[in-house]
Amino acid sequence: MRPVTAEAFAATVTRLRYLLLALCIALVGVAMVPIGNIWPPDPSARIFFAPENPERQALDEYEAAYAKDDNLAIVLVPDDGDVFSPEHLALIGEITERAWRLPLVRRVDSLTNFQHTFADADGLVVRDLVEDPATVTPEEAAEAKAIALNRLEVVDRLVSPAADVSQVSVLFRLPGLKPTEEVPSIVSAARELVADVEANHPVDIRLTGAIMINNQFASSGREDSANLLGPMFVVILVIVGAALRSVFATVAVLIVISLSAMAGLGAAGWFGFRLNSVTVLAPLYIMTLAVASAVHVLAACRARMPETGDRRVWVEKALAEHAPAIAIACVTTAIGFYSLNFSISPPFRQLGNIVGTGVLAAMVLTLFALPCLITLLPMRRQSSAEAEPRLMRAIAEFVIARRRAVLPAMLLVVAGCAAGIATIKLEDDFLRYFDERYAFRQDTDFTEERLTGVNQLNYALPAGAPQGINDPAYLTEHAAFVSWLREQPEVRHVYSLTDTIRRLTMNMNDDDPSFYRLPETEEAAAQYLFLYELSLGYGQDLTDQINVERSAMRATAAINRATTAEMRALTLRAGDWIAENAPMMQAAWTEEHPERAQVTPTGVVHVFNLISYRDVRAMLSGTAIALVLISGIIMLSLRSVRVGLVSLVPNLVPAAMAFGLWGYLVGNVTLAIAVVLAATLGIVVDDTVHFLSKYHAARRKGASPEDAVRHAFLRVGNALLITTIGLVAGFAVLATSGFAVNGDMAKLTAITITVALIADFLLLPCLLIWLDKRKDAMPLRTATTSTAMMVTGGLLAIAACMADTRARAEDPAAKGLAIAEASDKRDLGWSAYTVEGEMILRDAGGGENRRVFENLLMEREARSEGDLSVIVFSRPRDIRGTGLLTHANIEPTDDDQWLYLPALKRVKRISSSNRTGKFVSSEFSYEDLGSQEVDDYTYKWLRNEPCPGAETLTCHVVESYPVNKNSGYARRIGWVDNAEYRQWRVEFYNRGDALEKVLTSHGYQEYAGNYWRADRLTMENVQTGKSTDLLFTNYDFSAGLDDGDFDPNRLARMAR
Amino acid sequence: MRPIVCAAALAAAFLGSAPAFGQDTADSGADPAWWPEYTEFFGEFALEATLFPETPQFPGQANHAGSVAGEATLLAEWLDGDLAVEVTPFARFDFADQERSNFDVRTAKVDYAFGDWALRLGADRIFWGRAEAFHLVDIVNQTDAAEDLDDEDRLGQPMIRLARLTDIGEFSAIYFPYNRTRRFPGADGRLRTEPRVDDDAPIFEPSANRFAPSFALRYSGFVGPVDLGISMFHGLARDPSFTFDPTTGRLRPVYSRITQGAVDFQYTSGATLWKFEGLVRAGERDVTFDKSFFGAATGGLEHTLFGLFGSNADLGLILEYAVDSRFDDANTIFQNDLILGTRLALNDVDDTSVLLTGTGDLEDGSLAFRAEAERRLGERVKLSLEAQIFDLRSTGIAASLADDSFVRLKLGVFF
Repeated sequence: MRPVTAEAFAATVTRLRYLLLALCIALVGVAMVPIGNIWPPDPSARIFFAPENPERQALDEYEAAYAKDDNLAIVLVPDDGDVFSPEHLALIGEITERAWRLPLVRRVDSLTNFQHTFADADGLVVRDLVEDPATVTPEEAAEAKAIALNRLEVVDRLVSPAADVSQVSVLFRLPGLKPTEEVPSIVSAARELVADVEANHPVDIRLTGAIMINNQFASSGREDSANLLGPMFVVILVIVGAALRSVFATVAVLIVISLSAMAGLGAAGWFGFRLNSVTVLAPLYIMTLAVASAVHVLAACRARMPETGDRRVWVEKALAEHAPAIAIACVTTAIGFYSLNFSISPPFRQLGNIVGTGVLAAMVLTLFALPCLITLLPMRRQSSAEAEPRLMRAIAEFVIARRRAVLPAMLLVVAGCAAGIATIKLEDDFLRYFDERYAFRQDTDFTEERLTGVNQLNYALPAGAPQGINDPAYLTEHAAFVSWLREQPEVRHVYSLTDTIRRLTMNMNDDDPSFYRLPETEEAAAQYLFLYELSLGYGQDLTDQINVERSAMRATAAINRATTAEMRALTLRAGDWIAENAPMMQAAWTEEHPERAQVTPTGVVHVFNLISYRDVRAMLSGTAIALVLISGIIMLSLRSVRVGLVSLVPNLVPAAMAFGLWGYLVGNVTLAIAVVLAATLGIVVDDTVHFLSKYHAARRKGASPEDAVRHAFLRVGNALLITTIGLVAGFAVLATSGFAVNGDMAKLTAITITVALIADFLLLPCLLIWLDKRKDAMPLRTATTSTAMMVTGGLLAIAACMADTRARAEDPAAKGLAIAEASDKRDLGWSAYTVEGEMILRDAGGGENRRVFENLLMEREARSEGDLSVIVFSRPRDIRGTGLLTHANIEPTDDDQWLYLPALKRVKRISSSNRTGKFVSSEFSYEDLGSQEVDDYTYKWLRNEPCPGAETLTCHVVESYPVNKNSGYARRIGWVDNAEYRQWRVEFYNRGDALEKVLTSHGYQEYAGNYWRADRLTMENVQTGKSTDLLFTNYDFSAGLDDGDFDPNRLARMAR
Repeated sequence: MRPIVCAAALAAAFLGSAPAFGQDTADSGADPAWWPEYTEFFGEFALEATLFPETPQFPGQANHAGSVAGEATLLAEWLDGDLAVEVTPFARFDFADQERSNFDVRTAKVDYAFGDWALRLGADRIFWGRAEAFHLVDIVNQTDAAEDLDDEDRLGQPMIRLARLTDIGEFSAIYFPYNRTRRFPGADGRLRTEPRVDDDAPIFEPSANRFAPSFALRYSGFVGPVDLGISMFHGLARDPSFTFDPTTGRLRPVYSRITQGAVDFQYTSGATLWKFEGLVRAGERDVTFDKSFFGAATGGLEHTLFGLFGSNADLGLILEYAVDSRFDDANTIFQNDLILGTRLALNDVDDTSVLLTGTGDLEDGSLAFRAEAERRLGERVKLSLEAQIFDLRSTGIAASLADDSFVRLKLGVFF
């Protein structure tokens, strides 16, 4: 099959452009089918919690047991600063009454309907604190104030200690049947009520609570998409228009990016996602990212305009030049976004899937639909050639000339910026996701400052048995926990029925304050609560505090503004406290929740705290995988592992710098931060890919590193600058979102992309020049070839290198080389064979040690490749079945080598850079046995003389000097006969130029009618007296071996 | 029953060492046509003594242990090696822990190769992955946790495997008709958990049994210095989760149906090997018994200093890190761990080598050190020493091993 070249691709696309445009439009049409399902946005804060999230499950469980706490806090601030004036009490009463008429309301708590208890002659009396607010007298008001400010249940919850702020707390039960309508209907009714009250009374009213949070999530999403879409289009129009200076080119870009966004949204429908406050911005992300690809094509078209008026030629040339880079850039971007699937928070997963798909759609549209648009739209031809990008030329020259200063300076800057990461604090605050421009945020800040904590931790504390909450032991533990909670600095207020029970005990004992304590018997507790419940007013029942079986009672802590880490610490401390001090609750908890050791609270805020904590960790692995995949794609596409590794620097540095800068400038990060790294990775890679591919192409054509850098700057510098400006401008628009998750993500992305361009322009060129210079200066790198037991093949190659009777050159060096070259050819063509071998190691004292093996060898015909070999040991018995596979490479590339370990049945790639080590502790070094090539040595012919060991033959004596500086030898002297190029003796001189080893060959026989092989090779170390014999038997040149037998995947089978 | 089986297997192993089996039998004209062209019988018999210097944590646990084990392989080949049958039974008798005594068929397979294709029927062991310390991606075989802690003793796995070798590497598909469960030490054994694992009462879910079919796909190949493997697995997990059974007071292993995708690669750069393994897996329960979709990775580098100080010895330096996105909730000990190791190979005639590794848990600071040393004595005897020292900070189930540091001496006779 012919490989698909960019040129062939471009020609085909240009030819089929009408068909492809139609197909693209049809595809987008199909994608759009389920788009009706994604709107309107999901108005819940809970979208951030996945259903499989354990804390989300705990929250659902809790809310099934008690009432679901979607509350609305109506906070009243009287102008005169006194809540307890008769007119304000009347107003609170009125709001309380009217709040009951809000949709889906379940319970209303306020100062006026607070259930006050006391004793009278008949026993217990329970009544509203202010029985008839409309006609309250100043005396009654004063009495109510005295009572209220002394009740733990009221102060810091329904009224501030200074009595200047009060709240009417409304609880709703949301059936969840029409999730997009329920909350907005409540909020609009509540706002109507507030507007009406404020118009007629001197009071300031603020709204906060879970209902408002949910509402804000939904409305900010809508507002964002409505407010940002317009500016976004304007920004894109301006930048694209300025860059391309053509109305119709801009129109073409707009068509492509709009279709991409539609395809992305359609994909959301197919995935079954309803949009939410995060994903609502997905189309804006897609459009921002899609612009870059389209601009690359159009800019290239513009560059072709002066040459010809044929639009098809513009398109074809532009596609041929840019299609591969665009494909890589889009795929890496998509991978970056798809890796958001590692987030544990669904909105980010959905954002990743929508944007990733949208970017892939943008790639398809850019490559297949845009060409047709360019030929169809009446774009004006620009006849003047574009001026050379002077700015890029200046940057290139600056970087090249000053690289010795720029590189360290950049590294310092990078290190300095990255150090800022240490100052980053992970602080998620649900309530502060919305900045101060939102009334909700102002109201919430006000409430937290003046009245009570809006965030709540709900503890459902189990007693272990039905009716168990009446057990005095349980009540004691519960009350102790409540007091402990109240001592914690983060806690503003704790609401618990134990306070009411204490008061009931006092009431039942004639209001004797010394009886303000928990009842001593179970019967008493049950009786008091029963009496109390009987007398409670409408809607004031205890089901929100006690579950149906009466086996658990709740304690609710309202939390001051606290950081994520503090909240986590608080819940952990509370869990520890219970484990230590409340054995009964702990035992009951363990029985109910065997999988969770600690008593944990629930509540939206708690779940959120854990999410951000976990998500950062989850995304780290996602980012790592994306990084590996993206680097792998770069390596594959540029066919260079080294370039891929170099590319890691400009890909990772921007994120490190951006996070560091963020640390210095802002300090705290939200949940959004977890996903930024992965998302931006794919984007910043684009610049690197474009730059590297141009650099790499120039280098392959033989340009010096400096010229290659110049070339890369001139070819893509401007386009990179334009697309970066476009992306940064696009994300800058998104950054104006008042919703911190979206705003922070966009801000950080914009910073990262900016830094990435700086890194690509300043750091990457210096790095490339530096590394490539180093490589050029050291052509003989440490890496050396091989080991494998190319025993006979290798040794004969030495022989071949040294022999040629027909060498006529008189210059000893030329004659030596000629012998080597000619004799190299003498042993070609043996194809493949197997041989059985035995290695006998002899020490100076005569001790022997044997190794038995089989060797399979195969010749590779291309001169650029070495031979293949498998050695399988059969003795000693403990290494039986151990296999060594070698794919020899030509110097200076290391051989590829694998080892098969039969005990583990494992094939392991091993390093083959050891040259001087002794093979299985024999006197043969890896270098002696490795595959040898003519050019691995330089030669000098010394003389001719009778062959040692075969005096009837004449031998050339040739001295050879290894080129590789890591060789263990200074030189060798070889004796090769002039008849059949057989090697008879080699003397090895070590680095100190002392004779170290002597190799002699014995018992040559001719196989397959052409190839001479020795029966025995003896290597003798003249310095230590040790020697090694290599015996060969059963040469089989007819063995049917093929390439597959030398694949690492077959090594286990070959090594049996 | 069990000791008898073991003894029988060991006896068979010894009898087998008699020279009843020739080597190449193809030339002996008396053999019928179906007789294998090549047969070979080989194996190992091992004596093992283990000393636990610390007082056991749980009643009944031994201070020392001795055991004998044997493994023998019968290999027969036809069609010039294209058709091969291999059977490897393994047996161990442990004097201290009954559960550690066992008999297992490590291999019992028929291999048939035709051109680029290869078919395998029967039980075998297949290793996937690159890393040294933690075998993350390796999933074909069940681990024998009773045999040793090092995750390198694996049980034979019945399978039908079809593989095709192409220019870019090997593609294989495996069907597993039966799934092995992990073996754990018994009540008297050291290196066990408390509560101990009841490996006779596994739970398979959802509503599965040992015969629930499992499948795997793998690509494995190399380009220049990069070796790459990509694999998918769907079926019963090899790594169990645990649930406490109040009636027996033991942990029951739970094998869930999982789906995973994994990559493993190695970049060989001179004397340095860069290794990475990563996977994403769905369906497995973590320690909180929640099912989660998670990712895990391990990797690092191995650098060899060849010819240390001018001698023939090589010193390998290993640095690896293993992480699991579930962190503390992961049901593996390698959830956020750093592994440092060094391997000294003297490259002498007796292949003396020493491997030292230290594993540190970055979450709770637990440390585990392991030393392995081995040396051949003569032609067919090998002496190995293995030692493990625990310094555990964890309060979880792993703390059961806190006092189980040990030294083990093994003498293996090969035939």
